Amino acid sequence: MKTFRHWHQNKNFHFALLTLPGALFLLIFLILPLISILVFSFWRTESYELIADWNIENYKTILGEKTYLTFIWRSLVMAVSVSLVCLIYAYPVAYLVAKRGGRYRLILVLLTAAPFFTGIILRVTAIQQILGPIGLLNMALQTFGLEPIQILMYSNVASAIGLVYLWIPFMMLAIYLSLLNFNFKLLEVAYVNGAKPWRAFLEVTWPLNWIGTAIGIVLVFIPTFAAFVTPRFLGGVNGALYGNILEHQFGATGTWALGSAMGVVLFVICLIFILIIWRTINLQRSGYTGEEF
Amino acid sequence: MTEPALKLAQVEKTFGKVRAVDQISLDVGQGEFFSLLGPSGSGKTTLLRIIAGLETPGDGRVHVGGRDVTRLPPYARGIGMVFQDFLLFPHKIVAENITFPLKMQKLPASQKKEQLDWVLRLVRMEGFENRYPHQLSGGQKQRVALARGLVARPDILLLDEPLANLDLELRKEMEVEMRRFQAGLDIPFIYVTHNQEEALTLSSRMAVMHEGKFEQVGAKLDLYNRPTTRFVASFLGSPNHILGRIKRVEDEIAILDWKGLDLRIPVPSNAKNGDKIDYFLKHEKVLVQPLREADPPREKNRFECTLRDIIFKGQHSDYFVVLKNGEELVGSAAVDPQSLKIRQAVEVSWLPQAGDAFLAENN
Repeated sequence: MKTFRHWHQNKNFHFALLTLPGALFLLIFLILPLISILVFSFWRTESYELIADWNIENYKTILGEKTYLTFIWRSLVMAVSVSLVCLIYAYPVAYLVAKRGGRYRLILVLLTAAPFFTGIILRVTAIQQILGPIGLLNMALQTFGLEPIQILMYSNVASAIGLVYLWIPFMMLAIYLSLLNFNFKLLEVAYVNGAKPWRAFLEVTWPLNWIGTAIGIVLVFIPTFAAFVTPRFLGGVNGALYGNILEHQFGATGTWALGSAMGVVLFVICLIFILIIWRTINLQRSGYTGEEF
Repeated sequence: MTEPALKLAQVEKTFGKVRAVDQISLDVGQGEFFSLLGPSGSGKTTLLRIIAGLETPGDGRVHVGGRDVTRLPPYARGIGMVFQDFLLFPHKIVAENITFPLKMQKLPASQKKEQLDWVLRLVRMEGFENRYPHQLSGGQKQRVALARGLVARPDILLLDEPLANLDLELRKEMEVEMRRFQAGLDIPFIYVTHNQEEALTLSSRMAVMHEGKFEQVGAKLDLYNRPTTRFVASFLGSPNHILGRIKRVEDEIAILDWKGLDLRIPVPSNAKNGDKIDYFLKHEKVLVQPLREADPPREKNRFECTLRDIIFKGQHSDYFVVLKNGEELVGSAAVDPQSLKIRQAVEVSWLPQAGDAFLAENN
């Protein structure tokens, strides 16, 4: 008995050792930068230099000046709409692949990740080639003597299109993985018991796949809220989002302290969003049985 | 004459080249317990799904409660159904699972409550309203699934192998319960199973299905005791199978040559001398006893043989005997205290009419 327990404790210890490299990596490259940003956010910058002069002026600026609040609001609207559009587009596709994909399921899912084979800048530039003033779409329209579509050229709508295109694979994958474990026979049960197809979806499919869907929403919301590359390429002069002015603080203006505070605000807003989503998840209402698989 | 609760007219369904359901017609009356019995792949589940509206028939009509529902979607048919693996909604508590059909019908809350209480009492699940399905045992899940099927008082209740996933003891218990539920209701049960014991225990009438067709439909005792087709005779009761050739025909009786032994059997229809015959003899019809000197009546089949093995099954035992021609027969009977011993010389006997004879398939 003693040897067994000894072995058992040993085993747990060995497993703990295995987590060490990962934990160390996270500590150095995630936790420490976060702490430093938090610290810098309470300092101030003068002539491109950080000065350890503790104050909360940066936060007063961000939360008190209308300009910054406008950018937060813009990014929030952008993140919510892009998440919604991704959800509406991705759900039917994920559903179809999970239900009818058969043995091609895996390939079909991998295909949605194909854009990841190239870099983000390349992909955004590609979209520019389609939507821009001399892009495919507007060139084609002009060939037929039609006016170019202004709203698709350097606007927030163009940014939104680019962001949807960028992040939709995450939404697809999250919903698809959830549907993979969904018992589609439950829908037949709903039909026989008097539920029309849309009702069966709302009563059965949606709640039973809400966790996967929620993960997809978070995975799209956060990078969209922090986006700066896409709006810079597609948004044009008036299309700047919160991410752009945040990036600006670390570049041209060199106000690192204010930038850090903006980063903290971004982080907190994302955290609040995750918390709100998390509150909607009731494990039992999601069909979670507590069984280990 | 009242409308049958369920009426099928020449229903047909083809998957690719396979005729899953082939020209099926059937009437099931109010309050009947009707079983569809057949081996897997016989089309019984497809037929049930056609009745439920989960499959559309290629041809034919389906009437439920006097209404033609052939082209109606499942949610407009007013049918209850119990599925093989229960299929309770895992994210809904027992009460929500059971009242789901009522919610879809937008019934007022007071009536929902009333019907929930009624059905909970019926399936003896009072006090479990707030549990989630994963907190129930297999038998309890089965009761909830049954309650969900019955709560809206449907025109018919379809049951697709509902007991297949329960262990033997629970199955026996649920068989008794099912009969009790059904006896108090007007709702006819259409019960699909591959388990003949279940079908024989539960139903009043039944159909044996094979390759998409009904082999025989009727009262269960008729099917068991007077099978009209070779398949039903070979299937029900898992009988001894004797394959021989007709030597000659004497009035009602034919003499069958069974590898050197002469057997007396009823004359199968359309049989003549030299025909190959399948003769099915149920275990309980074979009498196994110690050898006797006295001559038996001539009309009985009687053979000396050796007792190879006895398998004790509780209420009865199976006796495996080897005949002079090297063939084996099984007889079953309640265990006799002065019972027979293995390797003892015994005799087996039965009346010709105890078995069912049909022309063999490849004559």
